[in-house]
Amino acid sequence: MAASAQVLTLPFQSGEKKADDRELVRLSQNGAQEAFEELVRRHQQRVFALVAGVLHRPDDVEDIAQQVFLKAYLGIKRFDQRAAFSTWLYKIAVNECWDYLRKRKVRPLTYEADLSEEQVSRLEGIVSSSRPPEGPSARAETREVLERMLEVLPEQDRQLLVLKEIEGFSVQELAEILNLNVNTVKVRLFRARGRIMDTYRRRLSPPGKGHAAPGGERKE
Amino acid sequence: MATESDFDRTGCRQHEALLEDYLNEELSGTDARSTIEHWQNCPFCRASLEDARLSMRLLRAAEPSPDPGPGFARTVMTRIRTAENERITLRADFWQPFVSFGWRFAATATLALTVLVSYNAGWGHRTQPKVVTVRPTEATEIFGPEPVSVPVNGDEAFF
Repeated sequence: MAASAQVLTLPFQSGEKKADDRELVRLSQNGAQEAFEELVRRHQQRVFALVAGVLHRPDDVEDIAQQVFLKAYLGIKRFDQRAAFSTWLYKIAVNECWDYLRKRKVRPLTYEADLSEEQVSRLEGIVSSSRPPEGPSARAETREVLERMLEVLPEQDRQLLVLKEIEGFSVQELAEILNLNVNTVKVRLFRARGRIMDTYRRRLSPPGKGHAAPGGERKE
Repeated sequence: MATESDFDRTGCRQHEALLEDYLNEELSGTDARSTIEHWQNCPFCRASLEDARLSMRLLRAAEPSPDPGPGFARTVMTRIRTAENERITLRADFWQPFVSFGWRFAATATLALTVLVSYNAGWGHRTQPKVVTVRPTEATEIFGPEPVSVPVNGDEAFF
C-alpha cells in the first residue's frame, strides 16, 4: 500500500528535481518497481560496458546484463547504501561474469588469425597521427582489431585496459569493482600499457616500418 | 635495452603508480615534482611513459560499448515481474502442505471440542451420580475380641 502511494509521487516522473540513486534505491526497497526501472535506465550502459569488457563475448552480454539487474532487484532489500549503488551493482556484474565463465568453462574468445595489412596500417595511422578513426563503424572495427591485440595480455590486465581506456571507468572504480588496491591497479595498468606496445611493435609492424621501441623489450 | 633488473636497480618500480597518475593528469604536489624529476633523468621511465601515451591513444580510438537502448529496461522489468510471480508461486507451493495440515488439525480440534461441550451440557447431566452411604465403623469392631462360636468338628476345635 505504502509502495503504491510512493509510486504516484516519484520525483523523476513528475518532472520535478531529478531523484538521486539513494532515493530511488530507498523507493525500490519499499517495492516501487518504477523506481528500479529508472535505476536500470541510468546504469544500463555502464553495466553493458562492464560486462562486455570482462566477458569479451558480445553474444552473451545482453543476457548477462539482464541477469545482473535481476539479481540486483532480488537483493536490493539487503543493500544498506553504505557504498554507492553503482559500485554495488558493478560488483554484482563482475561476479556474474566470473560465474558465467566458470560455469560454462569458457575462456573469453581468442583470435588466432593475424591482422590484415589494412588493419595494421589503420593502427599505425592512429599511433602516428593521433587522429582517431571517424565514424562509429570505423571505431568499432578498430576495437575489434585492438581486442585481438589485447589477447596477449593476462586476463585481468586485459580487462583493466579495456575498462579503463575503452569503456571509461576510473582507477578508483576499477579498484572497488575488482577488489584491488588502487596502487595495484595503477601499476598493472602501467605495465599492461608497456606490454601492449611491445606486442604492437613485435607482431604488427613489418620490420623497418614500425616504431622503434623507446625503452626496448620489457620482461615481466 | 631496459630489462627487469634495470628497472629494479634504478628504483623505477616506485614510480610506476605515479607515472600512471601523471599520464591521467592526476599527479600533484611533492609526488609530481619527484616523479617528473625522476623520469627526466631516467631513460627507462621516459620510454615507458612514451609507450603508455601511445597505448592510451591507440585504445581510446576504439568504440566503447553502445547503450542498449530503452527496450533493455523494459525487457529487464518484464523478466523481473516474471521472476517475482514464479517466486510467489514457489513460496505458496512450499507452504501448501503445512497450511493443509493446519486446517485439518483445526477442524479435528473443533469437532472434538464440540463433542466435549455437548457431552458436558447435554446427556452428561441426565445420568444421576451413584450415592454411596458410608456407615461409621466402631472402634470396638476393629479392636474388640472376635465373637465366640462353637466348633463344628475336630479340626476347628484344634485351631
